[in-house]
Amino acid sequence: MATYDGLFEAAGLEEWCSGGATDGPMTMAEMLARANGTQVEDGPDPAVPLLETPFPSLDALNKSCGAIPRSRDMTEAVEQGFLTIKDPLKVVLDPLTQPLSWMLDASLEAFQAIPWFIMIPLLVLATWFASRRIGVTLFVAFAFLFMAFIDYYDDAIKTLSIIFVCTIISILLGVPIGIAMSRSNALQRMTIPILDMLQTLPTFVYLIPLIFLFSVTESKLYGIAIILYAIVPVIRLTDLGIRLVDKDVIEAADAFGMSDRQKLWGVQIPLALPNIMAGINQTIMMSLAMVVIASLVSAPGLGVKVLAGIRNLELGVGLVAGFCIVLLAVLLDRATKAALGRIDSSAR
Amino acid sequence: MKKFLITTASVATAATMMAGTAMADAHGDCGEVTITEMNWASSAVVTGVASFLMEQGYGCEVTKVPSSTTPALASVAETGQPDILTELWINGAPSYDKMSEAGTITTLTDVLLPGGVEGWWIPTYLAEEHPELATMEGLLANPDLVGGRFHQCPEGWGCKNTNAGIARALGLEDAGFEIFQHGSGETMATSIASAVENEEPWLGYYWGPTSVLGKYDMTQVDLGPYNEEAHMCNADPDCEEVGMSSYPVGPVKTVVTTDFADNHPDLAELMSNVTFTNDQMNTVLAWQEDNNASADEAAVYFLTNYSDIWSEWVNEAAREKLAAFIQ
Repeated sequence: MATYDGLFEAAGLEEWCSGGATDGPMTMAEMLARANGTQVEDGPDPAVPLLETPFPSLDALNKSCGAIPRSRDMTEAVEQGFLTIKDPLKVVLDPLTQPLSWMLDASLEAFQAIPWFIMIPLLVLATWFASRRIGVTLFVAFAFLFMAFIDYYDDAIKTLSIIFVCTIISILLGVPIGIAMSRSNALQRMTIPILDMLQTLPTFVYLIPLIFLFSVTESKLYGIAIILYAIVPVIRLTDLGIRLVDKDVIEAADAFGMSDRQKLWGVQIPLALPNIMAGINQTIMMSLAMVVIASLVSAPGLGVKVLAGIRNLELGVGLVAGFCIVLLAVLLDRATKAALGRIDSSAR
Repeated sequence: MKKFLITTASVATAATMMAGTAMADAHGDCGEVTITEMNWASSAVVTGVASFLMEQGYGCEVTKVPSSTTPALASVAETGQPDILTELWINGAPSYDKMSEAGTITTLTDVLLPGGVEGWWIPTYLAEEHPELATMEGLLANPDLVGGRFHQCPEGWGCKNTNAGIARALGLEDAGFEIFQHGSGETMATSIASAVENEEPWLGYYWGPTSVLGKYDMTQVDLGPYNEEAHMCNADPDCEEVGMSSYPVGPVKTVVTTDFADNHPDLAELMSNVTFTNDQMNTVLAWQEDNNASADEAAVYFLTNYSDIWSEWVNEAAREKLAAFIQ
């Protein structure tokens, strides 16, 4: 029947093999082979030239031995396994993540409820107090006025609200994790591969298990996807910043008889603050990057417009929405960098 | 002299004929054909079956072009390629009429009969428990029974506007329904799947023939008779005079470029015969879903189990070539 028959005969596994079923869906190639008479059902197989020997993969072995699962059975088993643990996972994760849904929804309501003539000045003032830079403040003001002028203000505000919530949660979770990592080498060794995985997983892959775990109508679905993706830089840079604090300074602190807690709050965190702020800046940027993809799982905002532009080939809509995202990115980046600059100079 | 000429001519013709058939056996006399493979399950089956018939029966070299409705039409308008557009849901394609009038494209046939079924659906177990939910009045009176939520199409789909029009005409939001807009077709399908598997209520828009409607037993909500004026207005986001109307049966066409139809009359004839009934398509798609089969394998499933149907589509010469596949 197939290339690897001899292998199973030699191993004396024929009986075990014949117990399996071989009636999977037929592929186009098999059908053609069968119809051209090159392969009769249950007949001898035409000799395969050496150069065309297939790799002994699951599918190739299954042809010789029905008891060996095909690769589609393997993916099916993965799916079944996931579905089995889905329900217990749901029981644990659902209540745990529910506050995220409430926060996202409440923030969305609040951001939309505040009228533009209060919201825009608020944002501009916030920028001013954070950065104390005329240039950045003016840029933020103009950017929002421009978006409002071209009727993209609502979408921009929705996107901003999602970023606002996701960034705050990323910081609340990420900074403590980073601090814990910096104090224990073992923890760092365990966490870094996970962080690497979170950053290298294609962003769409996050969405698959999440769709299965939570109801697609819950806003936490995109919240979790954004947080998972965006939390990495703040963890990494908190860990790095604290580890980079000068050994001499730590020694001096020890000489003063500081306790561990005093050292952390009085010495390490203030000195690591520029790095932590850089991490926060990156986290904001990454949540903005994820917001567009999260629109595929019903996140509101500018991402929806970008997707609509792609679907309808409305080049203008897509480009303008894309430009608004870039504008948001630049203003968030400049505002946080300017704030970072102030922290840096005050530390000096 | 005349005789001699005729003889040479006939010999020459015979020679070219011989050469022609020899060529046709080797590669075919049809050349290269491009056909779209739209990004949904039924289209992949149509494309798989059609390319198989063209390759094996007519000796073409078929290239499948992954695409979707709007980009495929735009590509034909700009470049004259791909040659064949399978499964074009013309209700969602505004540029179709313009291109038909301009003569760029030729419509061959309805590839799905009766065609696309669109509408608002609730799970059948819900309809059996509360039959009144399949009517508009019953629906509006009991938002809680269907979860208080209407699942709306993603931004950029034609049905989003139409549903919004129907919802306005119904006063759906005033009745206490939340209109939830999905981000993509995938999450719509997921929400149906998870609702049905957990026996939860669900109300929303969906369309068929799709693997979702093939796999899950859904009942259509009666939106009243089809009223063209109201439907057209519902579909237009700027129109105020919205009214109640069911979705018409959506025509799903096979379309080719006019050049292609002129150059390959035999293939145009084949493609105008390729028509699946909704039931056949639903069966194939449900089988594909149950067996985790690829689109290719679903096409094979159709080809092996429905050879009596597709053998009627091809011409004599192709039927001889395909004799081995006809059971």
